[in-house]
Amino acid sequence: MAERDMARHLVDAVIADSPDHKRGTRPAHTIGIGVKGHFRASPVARDWCVAEHFCGREVEASVRFSNSSGSPVQHDGWSDARGMATRFHLSGGGATDLLAMTLREFFSATPEDFLAFAQAAIPRPVEPPRPWRKIADMLRLFPPLPDPYPGQRTSSVGGSMAYSGLHSASQLAAFDASFLGAPVSYARATYNAVHTFIVTAPDGTERYVRFFWQPAAGVEMVNPDLPPIDNYLQAELRDRIANWPVEFLLLMTVGEMGDPLTDPTKAWPLHRMRINMGTLCLTEVPDDQQAHCEQLAFNPGRLTDGIAMSDDPVLIARKAAYELSRELRGGAACPFDAV
Amino acid sequence: MSVRRRMNQLVPRRASLNDLVNSMSKSRLFGWLAGHVLVPYWARKTPVHKQPGGARATVQPGDNVQRMMNLILPLKDKTAVGRAKAAMAIASNLDEIYAGLDNVGTVHFARFVIIENNMCMISCYDGDFSNYIRDFVAQLGTVFDSVIALIEDGEAMIPTRDNIDTFINWVHDRDVYQIPDTATELLHYGTIGQPAVKSGEVADLRLIARALILQLHANPNALLGSGYRGYPGISAARIRDKMGFGW
Amino acid sequence: MIETDRDNSFDPKCVQGNILRGYHYARVRHLVLEVVNAALARRWLSQATDGSGAAPAITTEEEWLIKPASCFNLGFTYDGLKALGVPNASLASFAPEFKAGIARRAVKINDVGESAPENWASPFDTPDRVHIIASVYAEELEELDRVERQVADGLGGDGFAILGRHDGWNFDTDHVHFGYRDSMSQPRFVGVHDSDSYPDKQPLVPIGSMLIGYPTEYQNIRYAVPQPDALGRDGAFNAFRILKQDCAAFERYLDMAADSLLDDQLGEELLPVGDEAKFGPDTSRHAALREIIAAKMCGRWRNGVPLELSPDTPCPPEPVSPTDYDYGDDVRCPFGSHMRRCNPRGSTIVQRAARHTRRLVRRGYPYGGRYDPGKPDDEERGLLGNFICASLAGQFEAMMCDWLNLGLQDPRITGSNDPLLGANEAETSWFAIPLKSGRVIKLRGFPRFVTVRGGAYTFLASIPAIRYIANLER
Repeated sequence: MAERDMARHLVDAVIADSPDHKRGTRPAHTIGIGVKGHFRASPVARDWCVAEHFCGREVEASVRFSNSSGSPVQHDGWSDARGMATRFHLSGGGATDLLAMTLREFFSATPEDFLAFAQAAIPRPVEPPRPWRKIADMLRLFPPLPDPYPGQRTSSVGGSMAYSGLHSASQLAAFDASFLGAPVSYARATYNAVHTFIVTAPDGTERYVRFFWQPAAGVEMVNPDLPPIDNYLQAELRDRIANWPVEFLLLMTVGEMGDPLTDPTKAWPLHRMRINMGTLCLTEVPDDQQAHCEQLAFNPGRLTDGIAMSDDPVLIARKAAYELSRELRGGAACPFDAV
Repeated sequence: MSVRRRMNQLVPRRASLNDLVNSMSKSRLFGWLAGHVLVPYWARKTPVHKQPGGARATVQPGDNVQRMMNLILPLKDKTAVGRAKAAMAIASNLDEIYAGLDNVGTVHFARFVIIENNMCMISCYDGDFSNYIRDFVAQLGTVFDSVIALIEDGEAMIPTRDNIDTFINWVHDRDVYQIPDTATELLHYGTIGQPAVKSGEVADLRLIARALILQLHANPNALLGSGYRGYPGISAARIRDKMGFGW
Repeated sequence: MIETDRDNSFDPKCVQGNILRGYHYARVRHLVLEVVNAALARRWLSQATDGSGAAPAITTEEEWLIKPASCFNLGFTYDGLKALGVPNASLASFAPEFKAGIARRAVKINDVGESAPENWASPFDTPDRVHIIASVYAEELEELDRVERQVADGLGGDGFAILGRHDGWNFDTDHVHFGYRDSMSQPRFVGVHDSDSYPDKQPLVPIGSMLIGYPTEYQNIRYAVPQPDALGRDGAFNAFRILKQDCAAFERYLDMAADSLLDDQLGEELLPVGDEAKFGPDTSRHAALREIIAAKMCGRWRNGVPLELSPDTPCPPEPVSPTDYDYGDDVRCPFGSHMRRCNPRGSTIVQRAARHTRRLVRRGYPYGGRYDPGKPDDEERGLLGNFICASLAGQFEAMMCDWLNLGLQDPRITGSNDPLLGANEAETSWFAIPLKSGRVIKLRGFPRFVTVRGGAYTFLASIPAIRYIANLER
């Protein structure tokens, strides 16, 4: 399938997963907030990667935090993945992006599988599980299926669970997704870039790596036993940035012989070599969110000299799909490979 | 009163029945039922393979350094006297133990802890488990025997140096089971006679929860995941080398 | 048990002949046998131990005055012992790794990916049917055929099914694929006459490192004797391995690495301009660099001259011993080179307690036709290897999992695998060549050159042990 066709299918499939999706908005991660700040590389970052933002000079950064849903209706308190898209502004108007989410792995190892997964995950009406079913589950030592949130009419969870029941590649993501919860703050979650990238060291050594952001304030989730609140994350972030330093550490794990280098459905063990690449400091929530958030179009394939894409087929497909999605909604263009 | 109204009084409406069931799942009664009736029932009906203890064999270098050992060795004498004997067996042989660990060369940390009448030997080491134990026994000779003599089922192992393979196995059996970092691996444990999920069959991911319960029934002690590391992926000798301590 | 330090009182008549000495025949044939009729198989074994009947006589350690036309030896797998009716109590007394069999230890010895047992060639894809590896050594093919007929005919033919036949041959005296000269040194044993005697700085090896039931290199440890003594004593364990070698990939990588070092500062330190002459007249800089890289990866030049004794040239002006050396710093022979990894000799190693304890007797024959770099082909070629020791876990596996792969013995190579035999992947592999200035050339991007195609853990039972098995009644 031609790259462009696949991109089209992927965008359509993601849009189909949110029946109330509004034209002109992002197909997923629709609700978000843009933040400005700066990134300062750690003293050792330059030993591992020659990319400009790892070489000492502080660079400006634009970040967008989001809820993963493509629906225009906000449910901050629902258990779901959150996104953290970061653009590092480089010299000469260049830029590189890093897209991360609270889930540690992706649902599919290929774009074709992702299409099937997205198809399966189309929201279906949900009702509270019948009490007898819960009792039967409890007697089988299964955790009973959760009740929907108050007011929740549809859910994609049943579909994605059923799909991952048959497709082992999706199982880890599906299982981890069921424990995601909702963060008390966008600044109190760990965000994983999931895909493998290839970084080049000053001596020319290329390494297979994965990035993740760790919040300096620590990770905290809301109490799942309390009724969910639909709208608090953006106000919390504004308040936090006005009153507290908001920092994230950028950590890079180095892949090894035997690690799944190009499969985003498999998280690497937590005990891989882990390099502190620098600190992101968020300083301001711009008033003009249209310009500083909604107009921005992030792309996991927007890289710079010193960081390259691995052969991860999902990463490759995402590059084209995000670009197409940007065109469809009229986001600000940022040419690839500005070099 | 009509039959229908009477039924309505007897059978709560569905929403409240749901609430009742939800609260039931957290009730002490159900907790007791689950732990004392359901677990033994399912453990008999769908018995699981008791998974071996210790770190799993893998090929990645980062998995083969800083591996965790958690030996739980039940003391024969479960009084303060027995515990004191165990403490003395270690204390009176510190030179032997420290020199042995130094000469094994691959140990980051090792400690002896008495917990609930168990002598626990806890360490973080590099490389293969049996190589570590073999080298350690070769170094310690008879000292190890004086410790093992205080442990249930230990006598048959003495002298350990003449039963090295059997002894390594014995120790391995007492190394605490390590729950995999990747939860879905539990799906592949299966029950005796059949895999948990047959190929082509739909896997209910909630099986993972039951697999965990039944495995912890078979293996009451467990290390939760592979544990945190402050400087992952580095061997003990590499740290000594890089710090200029010499190795 | 009373320890008598120099106890090596074994009887050469009782020990199979392929353990302590090399036969130096040009050819080998390994027959993979399945026991199909245990009673007949046992009667055949009885003939093989005393040379009666049609079965070929098993060659022992006894010295010979006239070299026989062929030698014949047997290795039994755990499944083989079971199939021959060895009682459960005896079976239980064998070491756990032997009971598990090589296929179940695959992850530990990095037989993964393409080398994983599920990808092994027949008959090793059905490991529980691999019962005996019968090895015939001879100069001529006709003699191999003759001995094979002795196995296939008569009692043997009814007792066994021949599942596989693996021929090896020395196509160029001691040279193996990849072009290295091999088979130069083996452990020499305390108190054992060594017909190949040559000088070697390594300490003599206690006989218990190869034969079961004697003191080992570990002062305090003897490896357990499988019971009864008649079955276990004087035997040895063997890791039989079929190792496929990708000659084309190896030569390609040498080209690539040499290319990267041409016109490179580090390359100039490795091979000062003008030193090409040390490699022979008209040797190009590229060709000389290829040979240096090949030598650094192995620890020897391809002609067998050890780097430790001749670091700059394969053709030292004065001849050097191929064996009589110990390792010094890593500027001559890199810590990560194949030979130094597998046997660090007297070097300091991290596991001080394990020094000299992981020695192996290695006996290998190449298989497949000689590789011609001018005419690359698809023929499979490699090495039929026997790795012999008293404890597979304590020696063979210990060497494989902590040294050959992982590189725990020296912090400067930890995290890398053997450049020649290791379970490498091009994306992550590395090999360091230290230079005199302290700078280091780090070679990367090499794939796994050697793939495992099959193998078995076998027990090279003593002659009395084979008699014991032959006399078992069901």
